[in-house]
Amino acid sequence: MIRIVDGWKSYGDLQVLKGVSFEVGEQEVKVIFGPSGSGKSTLLRCINMLDPLDKGEVYLHEQNLIAPGVNPNMMRARIGMVFQHFNLFAHLKAIDNVSIGLRRVKKLPKEEARAKALEMLGRVKMAKWADHYPAQLSGGQQQRVGIARALSMKPDVILFDEPTSALDPELIGEVLQVMLDIAKSGTTMIVVTHEMGFAKAVASEMLFLDNGIIVERGTPQHFFVSPKSERVKHFLKQLDILYGSHKELLKRSNEEESK
Amino acid sequence: MFQVLPQPIEDILRVLEYWDHILAGFLTTMELYGGALVMGFFLGLLLALLRQYGGIILSRIATGYIEIIRGTPLLAQLFFIYFLPYSMNSILEAQGLSPIPIGKWNIQTDIIILDRIITYTIFDHRMLVGLLTLGLNSAAYQAEYIRGAIKSVGTGQLLAAQSLGMSRLAAIRHVVLPQALRRVIPAWSNEAAYLPKYTVVVFFIGVVDLFGEAHFIVANTFRTLTTYVFIALIFLALITIVSKALDFIHKRTSIPGV
Repeated sequence: MIRIVDGWKSYGDLQVLKGVSFEVGEQEVKVIFGPSGSGKSTLLRCINMLDPLDKGEVYLHEQNLIAPGVNPNMMRARIGMVFQHFNLFAHLKAIDNVSIGLRRVKKLPKEEARAKALEMLGRVKMAKWADHYPAQLSGGQQQRVGIARALSMKPDVILFDEPTSALDPELIGEVLQVMLDIAKSGTTMIVVTHEMGFAKAVASEMLFLDNGIIVERGTPQHFFVSPKSERVKHFLKQLDILYGSHKELLKRSNEEESK
Repeated sequence: MFQVLPQPIEDILRVLEYWDHILAGFLTTMELYGGALVMGFFLGLLLALLRQYGGIILSRIATGYIEIIRGTPLLAQLFFIYFLPYSMNSILEAQGLSPIPIGKWNIQTDIIILDRIITYTIFDHRMLVGLLTLGLNSAAYQAEYIRGAIKSVGTGQLLAAQSLGMSRLAAIRHVVLPQALRRVIPAWSNEAAYLPKYTVVVFFIGVVDLFGEAHFIVANTFRTLTTYVFIALIFLALITIVSKALDFIHKRTSIPGV
């Protein structure tokens, strides 16, 4: 349904993406992970053309988004995006954050947009916070509004750019729960995340991106049981230290001490 | 022996006899101030947007304008605009074309209060030059205040709006500007407080504003100190009211929780 073919992108001398290709099918959830600076966020921004590719193509339902004559604004309305730092519109209440796209892009009348926005807030369990401003909400609540905002446009696919990495550990759960619900309801998603539990639960395929290329791809099972490349093994070990049982960390500190 | 004692009450009453002049001058000053502030705001907003989002060429033009205005004396700008049509006329005449009818624009009105008739010049070529100069000048300063506020909103807001399918223009209008204009108020109040005092330069091209009337009163009464202190107090009162009003607006429009 969405397909990126040989995507290249550079910022000045820095080559960020070096020929990335993959395809996401209907109702599929792809998880992209990899070290920071590997080009994950750039890849997402290239898919919805906030930052157009230097070379390569992006297809949505077999339509080339980069072809001349295609209105990128119209296309972006069909690709939702959830940001690492939420990027909620600070001057608008939660409900208006969700309805602004319906009002200004889909040109729905005020009341209808409001009703739909309220329904979306309900889906992310934020209906009772509808009249709060972003600064009055916790990070987890803000991100759930951010998800509702993306959902409101009924996009073909939603891109998640590290949606939980700016959150306090306590707040990650509520956001992941909402993302899980959405994934299970059959939404096509491309998720950049290091939440391996989430990946395990819903990802149909995981892509490991390093240095602008897809180093390895496979099911969550494949990555957790038998990753092939050393780079991936090392990275997963680091993640394990971060999120795992700390066995690795203890082992290391014991080794240091015994020296 | 012939010591002149200060007589403050008498001095003030003597100056206040010219209340009709003070009122006319105040109206002129307010007209220049209000007109220049509004003109400067809209032009400044445009300049700020061009400088921030205008692409290479337009942003350079906006930057150049801002730097030229901020880098040259206001008085020089005033004289430039004042004398420009005259020198253009001499060129036009040399080519046999009809000159710009500079002195012909003149709208006056008589305001009758109590026993006084105040002949108030609403508009003439001097007022026009004053308004234009102050407006064009203020625009450059206001543009920088507004641009600072736009920058402080951050690109994340713009990206988020665009990710919903809004065009860049719609995103700027519905997302960036509502926040930037709220944020600009404290800094912008600087310009609102500076401008009334800058309006006095129009004295040099013969607009009789509050300051011009002060000279007139001094010439008639010789109460120098009293007159100028009185005029200064009018400015002080005006600017205090404006700045309190802006504080109030800033509080009323502030975003809850921020």
